Amino acid sequence: MSSIAASPVARRSSSAAITSVLAWVALAAACLVVIMPLVFMAGASLMPPSEVLSMPYRWIPKEWKPANYALALAGNDGNWLFLRNILNSLIVASTVSATTVGLSALVGYGLAKFKFKGRNVVFMGIMATMMIPFETVMIPIYLIAVGMHLQDSYQGFIVPFLMNAFGVFLMRQYLLGFPTEMLEAARIDGCSEPRIFREMVFKNIGPAAATLAIITFRQQWDNLFWPLLIARREEMKTIPAYIVKFVAEKNSDEGTMMAVAAIASIPVFFLFFTLSKYFIGGSAVYGAGKE
Amino acid sequence: MKRARKTRPSLEAAHDKWGWFFVAPAILYFSIFSFYPILYAFWMSLTNKKLLSLKPPTFVGFANYQKVLSSSDFWDSLKNTLEFTVGAFVPLFILSLAFALLISSRKRFQRALQMALYSPAVLSSVVAALIWLIIFDPRGLANAAANALMGTSGKDYMWLSSTSMVKVSTVIVYVWKYVGYFTILFVTGIGKIPASVVEASIIDGANARQRMLRITLPLLRPTTVLVSVMILIFCLKTFSTQYLFTQKGASLRAVNVVTLNIYQTAFRDQNLPQAGVMSILLFILMLVLSYAQLRASRGEEEQL
Repeated sequence: MSSIAASPVARRSSSAAITSVLAWVALAAACLVVIMPLVFMAGASLMPPSEVLSMPYRWIPKEWKPANYALALAGNDGNWLFLRNILNSLIVASTVSATTVGLSALVGYGLAKFKFKGRNVVFMGIMATMMIPFETVMIPIYLIAVGMHLQDSYQGFIVPFLMNAFGVFLMRQYLLGFPTEMLEAARIDGCSEPRIFREMVFKNIGPAAATLAIITFRQQWDNLFWPLLIARREEMKTIPAYIVKFVAEKNSDEGTMMAVAAIASIPVFFLFFTLSKYFIGGSAVYGAGKE
Repeated sequence: MKRARKTRPSLEAAHDKWGWFFVAPAILYFSIFSFYPILYAFWMSLTNKKLLSLKPPTFVGFANYQKVLSSSDFWDSLKNTLEFTVGAFVPLFILSLAFALLISSRKRFQRALQMALYSPAVLSSVVAALIWLIIFDPRGLANAAANALMGTSGKDYMWLSSTSMVKVSTVIVYVWKYVGYFTILFVTGIGKIPASVVEASIIDGANARQRMLRITLPLLRPTTVLVSVMILIFCLKTFSTQYLFTQKGASLRAVNVVTLNIYQTAFRDQNLPQAGVMSILLFILMLVLSYAQLRASRGEEEQL
């Protein structure tokens, strides 16, 4: 009796086990293929160029060459321009993240908690700007920036990106859930509106602020188009523009190029490993924001 | 000061006016950096404005549009962009959906798998392009791997130097970089499918394939639409990979996508009106896509 009853169950569970093993094999292979170029970057950044391009490739350097990193930082001319450009990237990405979080919270709060006339028009207007690709407005923005004498200055990097529609959307959605009774209570206690924002609202946007800050930081870290336009002097460029320049130089070798790539990736990977929750959650929110 | 603010009559209306105070920065910012520029871009496309010229530009109507639409250069770059978009869309969509379904069916290591697949998306586009630039070197890893896979020996697949292969190469970089990003969007979408529906189907005796085809995929449609449009919009805006590859000697003609063409036309040729025309056309293309997405997701709501 038991053998008749058990056999289909046993068959099903063994085929489920096979499916499960196949799924793991497929996923492991996918992860391996995706990660391999990153391992390649890390390994090659410590190799002499001959080894980077000698096949069969050895993933672990035979001859370790940490000097690649020194050369990467110093540059081919030894002018340490890369260090300055890294500093620029850090300053620009951090400042833009901060202004985006602050201003988006301010505007998101205004849209979420005040029923003024024209609120919907303002909200829809801001959302509509999400449809405008930067490539379409970049020339006019460039002309505005030139008119304001913002070339080769940090303001030139920061002012055009002070805030964005996605940030406003994210903060508005988050603050819609903020308890209105708490705001009312504070008003009855005679708290001024700016103070309510500063003391109550702004201090309670933690998760949304972290998500927005990370998305913004990564976007700015990645920005190539704008620095190509706004920075004419080499020392005012940011990392992506530096990389393009370094790669185009005749005497840059492959090992050092990978060291440059690795250095450029360290800050974002550090953020990724310490705050992966916000990266992964943030992409999901970002996706939803475009809905 | 605290006391002075207490205006008892119509407290509601009085405080609602503060809304304007809070949204004022947005009105100022978006007027200057979004609305004015888009109008300016359109106006610019109707004039003969030069980048560095101080002469006031004159109005020329749609002459620039005529010029752009009859130039083979523009159509070539549009073709490049569309080739790239289609070439990247298909593998990105299929792989990210497949990975997400596999990950969602795992009970353990979901997070680790997502992080591993997502990791290239953390990199700057330029860094991603640079890593592959070295891999695609004639003496590099890509040729070694391709020779091993195809059973050839010592063949140069000309990843960067052949005009057709360099298109494939840019697609590879893009798929590699973003597959994890879209996988996460799909995993989130699958996670939103109510567990009760899935459980009910199991009780009703649906097998894994039936569950996939009858439950998961239909209920995943909003995410599917979202991801499709996002992939399209991402692909239409591709720039860094093509730019870096051409800086390193790849044929500009082969990878001259619309964004790169806009950049070259505006800042190398200093031809702002024609760059403006192309950027307005790109904008319209994206508007149409966003509209299609909106329609699709509206239709979804009506169905439910």
